[in-house]
Amino acid sequence: MYRLLPFNFTRIANQEVIVNEVGDMQIVPLGTVQQIVEKKLDEKSELYKTLHANFFLTDTAIHPLFDIYVERLSEKKSFLDDHTALHIFVLTLRCNQNCVYCQASSQQESSCHVTMSMHTMEKGVELMFKSRSQHLTMEFQGGEPSLEYDLLKYGIEKAEEKNLTEKRHITYVLCTNSINLTEQVLDLCKQYNVLISTSLDGPAFLHNKNRGKTDSYEKVVAGIAKARETLGFERVSALMTTSVEGLNYPIEIVAEYVKLGFCDVFIRALNPYGLATENDDWEKYTERFIEFYKKALNHIIDLNLSGTFFREDYAAIILKKMITSFNSGFVDLQSPAGVVNSVIVYNYDGFVYASDESRMLAEMGDYTFRLGSVDDDYEQIVYGAKVREMAKVWSNETLAGCSDCALKVYCGADPVRNYSTQGDMYGYRPNSLLCKKNKAIIEYIIELIITREDKVLPVFKSWFL
Amino acid sequence: MTLRIDRRIYSDECISKAIYALAARYSFKRSLLSEVEEELIVIPQTDTEESTVKADVFDSLNDFKLRCIIDKETHDIRTILYAKAFSDCEDIDETDLD
Repeated sequence: MYRLLPFNFTRIANQEVIVNEVGDMQIVPLGTVQQIVEKKLDEKSELYKTLHANFFLTDTAIHPLFDIYVERLSEKKSFLDDHTALHIFVLTLRCNQNCVYCQASSQQESSCHVTMSMHTMEKGVELMFKSRSQHLTMEFQGGEPSLEYDLLKYGIEKAEEKNLTEKRHITYVLCTNSINLTEQVLDLCKQYNVLISTSLDGPAFLHNKNRGKTDSYEKVVAGIAKARETLGFERVSALMTTSVEGLNYPIEIVAEYVKLGFCDVFIRALNPYGLATENDDWEKYTERFIEFYKKALNHIIDLNLSGTFFREDYAAIILKKMITSFNSGFVDLQSPAGVVNSVIVYNYDGFVYASDESRMLAEMGDYTFRLGSVDDDYEQIVYGAKVREMAKVWSNETLAGCSDCALKVYCGADPVRNYSTQGDMYGYRPNSLLCKKNKAIIEYIIELIITREDKVLPVFKSWFL
Repeated sequence: MTLRIDRRIYSDECISKAIYALAARYSFKRSLLSEVEEELIVIPQTDTEESTVKADVFDSLNDFKLRCIIDKETHDIRTILYAKAFSDCEDIDETDLD
């Protein structure tokens, strides 16, 4: 008589989907789970052999390949060994755009007292090197960080100087709207191999409307061209944020990215911080976003089927967890959560925050996720009382509603979002819109695999192989 | 709608998890009638046929009963799996299951 190994199940597209501890998924006919659990499975059947080979059951007390299973689980959670790798430096809140959905509470370009001091930058760099991670990403954000050239240069030079002895692998990323990519800024980026991550919301009419400007699109496109020319085509990536208006244009947004020569797009929902909180109906937005996402994803799949390689990054992250042995490295879909474990923020105000969203909350007057000052000890910041409190609720394996969800391996925990939208870090899954959105997208990807496997699976695999 | 649940078939854990999973669509009131029977008052948050309510509740109960069986049977092996994955203990083996 066989024994069960840990797994969970759900139903999608009239099939049972069973998922083990490392995210291996099997699609089986309805009623199979009951058969498995009641030990009624024919041990000579192909299904039995498949389930045995994929760690859903075993015919010995310990599966003969148990150590491999252990290694695979270890690999899926290897981001914990890497420790904090993403270090976000918010140089300023000053900005040269007026985005309708600004989540960072950006200020006018002429604003004072919203820019990081050289002292904070220096201390932030010192703290960054206290992380044990061999791979460090130093990401510059704002406001618009390119408005602070001297600070940017100082930060990179400090990191380079420190790295002469530290010998870490450092990646620099400048998150910019590309409006102010001067020769000076681009020369600095070229000298230190800085990646440009820009933002483009879609075609001109949509992008300009979102930015509250009439010429933003033209300037961004010109900035992208200039950056590609100076730094190399592949050194420039773009991100979009789906404004309420943007929900009407899934095809047009994808088409814009294709037109500009990008080979991927990250279909990103609005987050409830900063000006975005003025959106009056988040439930409706979430429902519309899910439909928008499906349309965009289907269009992208069709593009691939007609010979144009193009990837949707959010789906690719989820698929990587489903199909490969590796973790995605994406901090928003991680358990234990990305906060502190993988990302930390040094804010312009001289304080350290648990995540990008945490500093956005601070701009709204809520300092719950302020972990300390850049002048504090590293240990005081990352092992302090606030982080220990967050640690109690940052694993979806232990949260009500998540722990029994078959899709938790593909999802993550987000105490900051729970807190900001539901008032406590633990959260309440039945009416969590983040849960609703993630679940709908993951289920849709699986539904596509079930109903259109021959067509979509080769496309999906091509996105990360 | 009022349903009676046999607690010899569905454990307390199973009932709690089943109604948590349905809490976006229904409100619940639980009352113990005896050691073996529980009354569940189910209030749909939108107009829903009684047959649908009953099917939703019992489908959820049956699913969580299966999950509870899986969890109970695999508890030890899951503990060993995580212990080995997150520590250096090479000496855990099947005798630890006893």
